[in-house]
Amino acid sequence: MTDSILDKVVPALGELPRFAVGDEVQVIKRFPVGHYRVPQYLRGHAGRVERIIEPAAVDNEEEGYGRNAGGKLHYYRVALPMPSLWPDYLGSPRDELHIEIYESWLEKK
Amino acid sequence: MATEDFVSRLPNDIGGFEAGSVMRVEHQLEPWEKRCHALADVLDFKKLINTEEKRKGVEALGETLIGKLPYYERWIVAFSNISFTKGFFTPTDLARKMQEVETRFAAEDDARDG
Amino acid sequence: MTNPQDPHAGHDHDHGHEHDHDHAPITADATPGYYEIMEMAVTELMIERGHIGPGEIRRQIEVLDSRTPALGAAVVARAWTDPGFKARLLADGRLACEELGISFYDDTQLIVLENSERVHNLIVCTLCSCYPRPVLGLPPDWYKLKPFRARAVSEPRKVLAEFGTDIPDEVDIVVSDSTAVVRYLVLPLRPAGTEGWSEEELAAIVTRDAMIGVVSVTAEKEAV
Repeated sequence: MTDSILDKVVPALGELPRFAVGDEVQVIKRFPVGHYRVPQYLRGHAGRVERIIEPAAVDNEEEGYGRNAGGKLHYYRVALPMPSLWPDYLGSPRDELHIEIYESWLEKK
Repeated sequence: MATEDFVSRLPNDIGGFEAGSVMRVEHQLEPWEKRCHALADVLDFKKLINTEEKRKGVEALGETLIGKLPYYERWIVAFSNISFTKGFFTPTDLARKMQEVETRFAAEDDARDG
Repeated sequence: MTNPQDPHAGHDHDHGHEHDHDHAPITADATPGYYEIMEMAVTELMIERGHIGPGEIRRQIEVLDSRTPALGAAVVARAWTDPGFKARLLADGRLACEELGISFYDDTQLIVLENSERVHNLIVCTLCSCYPRPVLGLPPDWYKLKPFRARAVSEPRKVLAEFGTDIPDEVDIVVSDSTAVVRYLVLPLRPAGTEGWSEEELAAIVTRDAMIGVVSVTAEKEAV
């Protein structure tokens, strides 16, 4: 009986995580002036979502300008292969870099 | 190197840069450094100056100052700058208070040295 | 490993304090330096203006003094001896620490990274100095300085070798770079020869550097 009501629940924009564990994602190639928390060595690189960090959180780049609440999205722990980041990488090709990236910095690969 | 690269790259964004070997240096925090760290925690807890604002404040010091100042020195200068912007106190307030503190210590030294 | 954005690639660039860090010797009647005076002045102004209470800094110093690597070592020792706790720790690091009475006084979360025969974990903060302070205390200088921050993400095996740690190629390295709300703690491999040890004996051999991931734990008494 209640199944059809539950199926009709509409979440707010940005409320639910946009990406799922296992998704191949790409760090957007964007070079903002001012405070950022996505290192340049990541820009444009691709990886795999390892974990969705819950709950949704304030954009830390906006926090730097004084936003302490509101406008929350999710962070994702993304795994990137080391050789893809560094052309002459010295080490196992299976070595990885893991890093938290805010949803606004990611797109589906 | 094009100037826009300098504008859009933060001075602390050094992942992947070349650097020397890791020297395993560490030191016991001086009392003022610990107080400075505690101040940062209190300011963040109360969201007067949150941790990200502090980070941005340190970045805003620019590459030269960041290279010249040690860790907690960067924090306290950043806190001062942010406090001016937020209207907690003015540069003149701070200068006067610093003079007052300095005088207080000089007086204690005089008293001690007899 | 040159980042094409690196303006200093190719020369020897000394960033002054990045290389050495002289501190004036602390004596009881040492005249405070410029920055200490600034710190005292900022605090006094903030208290005078009613933004912070007079005892709050003192209390936070007590909080900080109570946070040392011994806390992390206790967490590791419990995880090594209690599989249920370990599972909870790996699922939610902060919650599991709070179980042991380790409160988190900030908004950070904790992901505990388990080392295994297949994977060795290393933590770094390239952008600043993010570190699991509620459970490990304050980070060592080297963790906050350029050489470690710049190279741990791009040549971790070489950096580990500088700590005397040799990770064979069959073991994968995962470097976790902290940038946001999550902090990391490495759960090191329990060394052979510690079978039947008590939690206290185990905690005594777990070092801060092992929980950062730059060294492994060995079955020698006396944690540093």
